[in-house]
Amino acid sequence: MEKRMKIKPSTLLIFLAAAIFVIVIPNTNEGYSMMIVNLGLIYAIATYGVSVMLGMGGQLSFATVSFMGVGAYITANLCSGRNGINMNTALALVIALLASALLAFGAGLILFRLKGTYFTFATIGLVQVSWSFYLSYKPLFGGPDGISNISTLNLFGFSPKNYNDWFYILAAFVLVIAFLVERVRRSQLGRSLAAIRDNEIAAQTLGINVYMTKVVAFTIAGVLAAVAGSLYAMHSQFVSSDMFTYERATTYIIMAMLGGVNNTAGIFVGSVLVTMLPEWLRFMQQYLQLIYGIGVILLMVFMPMGLAGLASGFAKSLKRKLYSKKKVTAGKEGPKQ
Amino acid sequence: MNINTIVSLSVNGIAMGMIYALMAMGLILLIRAIGVMNFAQGDLLMFGAFVTCALTVDLKLPLWIMIPLALISFAVIGVIFMFTVYWPLKDATYPTATVISTMGAAMALKEIATLIWGSLPRSMPPLMKNPKTGKAAVLNLFGIKLQWQFVLTIIVGAVLIWLVFVLFEKLYAGRMMQAAAQDKYAAELLGIPTILTTAATYIIVVIMVSTGGYMIAPIFMVSNTLGSLQLRAFAGVVIGGLGNIKGAIIGSLIIGLVESFSTIQFSQYKDAVVFIVLIAMLLVRPQGLFGEKVADKA
Amino acid sequence: MKPILRLDKVCKRFGGVVAADDVTFSVLPGEVHGLIGPNGAGKSTLMNLISGIYTPDSGKIFLDEQDISDVPSHMRARMGIGRTFQTPRFLQRSSIEDNLLLGTDLANQFGYLKSYFGKKGSDFEKELKELMKFVDFTFDWEDDISALAYGQRKQLEIVRSMLSHPKVMLVDEPAAGLNNKEIDDVMALLNYAAKERGIGILLIEHSMDMIMNICEDIVVLSFGKVIGTGCPAEVSSNEAVIEAYLGRDVNA
Repeated sequence: MEKRMKIKPSTLLIFLAAAIFVIVIPNTNEGYSMMIVNLGLIYAIATYGVSVMLGMGGQLSFATVSFMGVGAYITANLCSGRNGINMNTALALVIALLASALLAFGAGLILFRLKGTYFTFATIGLVQVSWSFYLSYKPLFGGPDGISNISTLNLFGFSPKNYNDWFYILAAFVLVIAFLVERVRRSQLGRSLAAIRDNEIAAQTLGINVYMTKVVAFTIAGVLAAVAGSLYAMHSQFVSSDMFTYERATTYIIMAMLGGVNNTAGIFVGSVLVTMLPEWLRFMQQYLQLIYGIGVILLMVFMPMGLAGLASGFAKSLKRKLYSKKKVTAGKEGPKQ
Repeated sequence: MNINTIVSLSVNGIAMGMIYALMAMGLILLIRAIGVMNFAQGDLLMFGAFVTCALTVDLKLPLWIMIPLALISFAVIGVIFMFTVYWPLKDATYPTATVISTMGAAMALKEIATLIWGSLPRSMPPLMKNPKTGKAAVLNLFGIKLQWQFVLTIIVGAVLIWLVFVLFEKLYAGRMMQAAAQDKYAAELLGIPTILTTAATYIIVVIMVSTGGYMIAPIFMVSNTLGSLQLRAFAGVVIGGLGNIKGAIIGSLIIGLVESFSTIQFSQYKDAVVFIVLIAMLLVRPQGLFGEKVADKA
Repeated sequence: MKPILRLDKVCKRFGGVVAADDVTFSVLPGEVHGLIGPNGAGKSTLMNLISGIYTPDSGKIFLDEQDISDVPSHMRARMGIGRTFQTPRFLQRSSIEDNLLLGTDLANQFGYLKSYFGKKGSDFEKELKELMKFVDFTFDWEDDISALAYGQRKQLEIVRSMLSHPKVMLVDEPAAGLNNKEIDDVMALLNYAAKERGIGILLIEHSMDMIMNICEDIVVLSFGKVIGTGCPAEVSSNEAVIEAYLGRDVNA
């Protein structure tokens, strides 16, 4: 198929918004508020995993936190000087990535013996198992106190000195991962997942190995979660089991749903918004969780495809007003309009 | 391990298993009726515990007023829950939306409970007290000492499960409700209003789950973390087999027992043991204990 | 000529219902083979058996003289069994382009990694252009599939299946819900698939016009049993067939 290098106005707008975000945010924030933004970026990486599983493949998994834990604790063990090891953090990140890929692949092989709701239940089981080990097993996970003194990231000699430095590193990570995920969506894997989401039987008759495709998606989600976990450990220089509970797992799903579960830009917006919301609404902290909960219900009722769904609906109606719709034969000059 | 320990651990396990079974059975009734998972099941239980605690401790109502009042409030909660969390989404094009909205409901319930009753755990007196000491009554069975509260939980749970089971499997009204759930269009044609059967299902489910909350309140403290018990009920459903009520009940009892006996060796890893059993089970028999392998509908 | 698809004594029961009873027939390459019968005769079940959604209780299915009875559904698709459904099954929230690309993906069979790193396979645009000659409508392929009318979607499903280069194509009621012009287009497309591409087509259809027009050979099913085979003229004068139709559903 011919590659089409046409840039759509919406893509341009997204890049513009991203550029403004990267320029404005670090110049207006520092210290604590910068740290919160950074956390939002880290969570976005994990939420991209949710997007691959739930948005593309229609599989609801809670296992994000289990694999975030894998990434975080591998990094914590290798880079905090406990057990006498203090490895280069970039190398630890790579190790975390490989280990989580193996674990997620294995777990996926087991969990996808189940389908639909029962798969979801089983991922909850995985979360409970991993969490209780993270909480209680001291030699590897530090027990309830967690692990502290984790070294900060060191990328080829460059090491962030404050949260503003971190912001640029994380923004770069998010950008690269967003790009890779968007490519998944546009590749055969993305299409196969979409086919599975809509109708598994039809997917099979199109030659798609439903089981293995789901396992691949689960592995990708696991790796993304682990990268987020590893970065989290280096960024906070501290890891404890609170980060990897069932409740946390629901947050990632909600982040994805708020932004638009099948939209790469939306995932980012959702993650940052959900992370920032408690800060903005600090004055009404008492009611925060309540608002949050009701907000989720309202979101599902009125815009199940999230902010991105809202935006694309708006864009479509705008387009309809601007151009009278012209239909073009496919295959002539590629896509039109 | 002597016989005493074994019996009392079994009783504890079965009592907890009953609580999980109440939630698990409710889950399956909802899945059958509306085809949707309820991730707020545990928080409904928590809410039930708080409501009964308020009626008993704050208002000091005697049992014979407390019980009907509690049942009415459970029914009201059920109807409100249905109309806020499920009804607006019943025609949702995106099926996951309905599931996610129950997650939102779980957060909201937790927070409403905290706003009304505060964030400190509350204690609830046991149903049967020793008249002399005022402490929880103990049943002495052939020299084996058992907490009455556990025994009562088993009895109440079993009776409730049996009643609902009879209602849904044996009585005409229950069968009609299931038929209505399976084929909404035909049901409407036959003049069975889906809104009523759905509401009835929600009321029954919330009453079951909240009663579970009431029974468990004296065993644990009443706090907004009770909701996490639902995870065990989920495990029970999976172990039992897909969509099978009997299986879910037995699965939940197994979970209760595994949890209870695992406290001897590895109390820290109670959760892990329960869910490792679950995952091992899935490896051996992915369709669950009572599930059958069903071919996909083409 | 060797048959491209052959069913040998295929049986399938659902509970007490016999959906396929000792079904034996074969489809030659480049042939349009009709599969007809009253409603509930087991035609769709047979398609599901061939494409591997159900496994037969007994009997064997051969593709290109290779036994595929135990091959999983997706592998059968990769070996060259394409199919369309009574109601077209597309990705509802994806663009027309993505929907059609699924066909090319199946033809390429790269695996996800090669596809991810941009390996190019069969020429999607060129092939699509060729196939779109037969259908008489245009579209903006960034649109959602729901932008198309029902009849257009049904035609596009055949196009998608052809993009995957099948050896055998199972086509389930392509004419239902289409207007006369669209039916003609579908027939032209199926004829092209059989004659120019050499695809063996198994066609379920209730429109006798279409069956009589383009089928070289016909199998008639009733209650899961083959009650008649032969060319259109033979079948339409077969006593058992007439009885089965008149006795049940004249319309069919």
